[in-house]
Amino acid sequence: MTTDNSTNGATSGLGAAAPVIGLTEVSKWYGNVVAVNDVSFEIGPGITGLLGPNGAGKSTLLHMMGGLLRASSGSVSVLGEPAAGNPEVYRKVGIVLEREAVYGSLTGWDFVRMNAKLHGIPDADAATKQAIVRVDMEYAQDRLTGGYSKGMKQRIKIAAAIVHDPQVLILDEPFNGADPRQRLHMIDMLRAMAREGRTIVFSSHILEEMERLGDRVLVIVSGRLAASGDFRAIRRLMVDRPHTFRVASSDNRRFAQALVGDAAVTAVELEGGQLLVRTNDYGRFTLEAPRIAQSAGITVRELAPSDESLESVFEYLVAGVRGGAGENS
Amino acid sequence: MILLIASVTLRQVGRQRRMLLLVLLALVPVLVSLLYRFAATDDAPDGHIQFASGILATFVVNLVLPLSALLIGTSALGQDIDEGTIAYLIAKPLARWKVIVAKILAGWVLTFGVVLISVVGTGAIVLVGEDGFSLVPAFAVAVAAGALAYVVIFVALSLRFSRSLIIGLAYVFVWEAIISQFITGVRFLSVRAYTVGIADGLTEVSTDILDRSLAATPAVVLLSILVALGTWYSVRALTRYQIAERV
Repeated sequence: MTTDNSTNGATSGLGAAAPVIGLTEVSKWYGNVVAVNDVSFEIGPGITGLLGPNGAGKSTLLHMMGGLLRASSGSVSVLGEPAAGNPEVYRKVGIVLEREAVYGSLTGWDFVRMNAKLHGIPDADAATKQAIVRVDMEYAQDRLTGGYSKGMKQRIKIAAAIVHDPQVLILDEPFNGADPRQRLHMIDMLRAMAREGRTIVFSSHILEEMERLGDRVLVIVSGRLAASGDFRAIRRLMVDRPHTFRVASSDNRRFAQALVGDAAVTAVELEGGQLLVRTNDYGRFTLEAPRIAQSAGITVRELAPSDESLESVFEYLVAGVRGGAGENS
Repeated sequence: MILLIASVTLRQVGRQRRMLLLVLLALVPVLVSLLYRFAATDDAPDGHIQFASGILATFVVNLVLPLSALLIGTSALGQDIDEGTIAYLIAKPLARWKVIVAKILAGWVLTFGVVLISVVGTGAIVLVGEDGFSLVPAFAVAVAAGALAYVVIFVALSLRFSRSLIIGLAYVFVWEAIISQFITGVRFLSVRAYTVGIADGLTEVSTDILDRSLAATPAVVLLSILVALGTWYSVRALTRYQIAERV
């Protein structure tokens, strides 16, 4: 299930260099609810994405990496130091949480400057200016943050988190509420920061965001590490899984018979007026199905994957995690 | 650092609508004093002193002071917890005691400011030019001390309980207002009693209410212990504080 490669900064095994962030057999539970279950991984410089459905435990993991939440068992370290109960670590770590919270009675400038002062930065004004320019918010810096849109709040929060020039930046769902232009700008900014040698960890439940930003991806499902590797490997893992297609044609029964002979098709099922086709090879099936229909003289009215939602992809990965429990831990 | 956090807190809490309600509440004893001034007959020679000490020791100390401290003290840090802005204070290379001291300072300044309206207003209307004017500075200092004790308690409550306002209300109206008044021994554990005791120690004026109060020395000592313990508890609670994410 695990798809590591050697150039990968996020590995579930032991890396050669000291990791920037390291989790060892980390679990977190709230009463009887297990939010994170025995997760170990290491993260190095560059951008790492935590991908998983809502409620998978991504936020819990990020909170633990940021030292805001203690692990129930296991250890979390950042830059070689324990993450929790260690305020000094914040000299090198910046955190952007998902909640929209900002001090609404402060202007954008005052808000970022306050964060600079709390970090004890000697030239708070210069640091504030630099951070605000970086998130492209100069035009609104003198307005009260209470009146900002969701995307603007997100950007001013990022400015506040990078004002002390941190080596590690942790962002929980940073693209929520951002419009496409803001999203692109943020992606460029985070990429530039990663090129400077920083370690950036972000979470998202949206596959496309991972594709654009997550060089290395940790897939978190039901509180466990379901897969890790570079995005292409994860994508392949998701595409190579069994797919079910819903087909409507001029003659479903005859089409079913014709399809059964193809190597890409593992099962066909006629259900009411619908034909369901299962395949293990997404690419081949989508190429072959129209050819088979054409040679049999059948008109295809609809051919659509019936389980393309991200949830079904995760369900598949969960099944894999359950089947191979312990592989990643 | 402390002043920075305190000033942001002053803005944050000072902008709330509840502040307007508290100022209106603080004006009630001033209005009652005005009524007294215009309607009272000068039968008893120390009538105005008895009236002023009655208003200050009951209405102001029993109601305006704890209610202001409750609403302000529970939101000084409680608002950060509710809205999630506490992350900006916690995720900093900053000693936790500085955050707590800043929050208590801001809550104390606001609470004292509100209660001072009552004390000075009442004093100016009833006691200016009269014998018992020393009641006014005595109560001003006493409510400053009482405000500090209450704010320390409510900041600690807001860290411990998500429903700190309800718990604080129960404390103010059951413990402070009822139990501590009727069970003599309990006054050693009552901020109301400390406040009146301190006022008594600072004025030569003798009135029924002040004479029945706790002596000034134990009042100051107990209040100081309460402030120290409460602050220590809050620092400890904030050090252990974890931000629970909302899934």
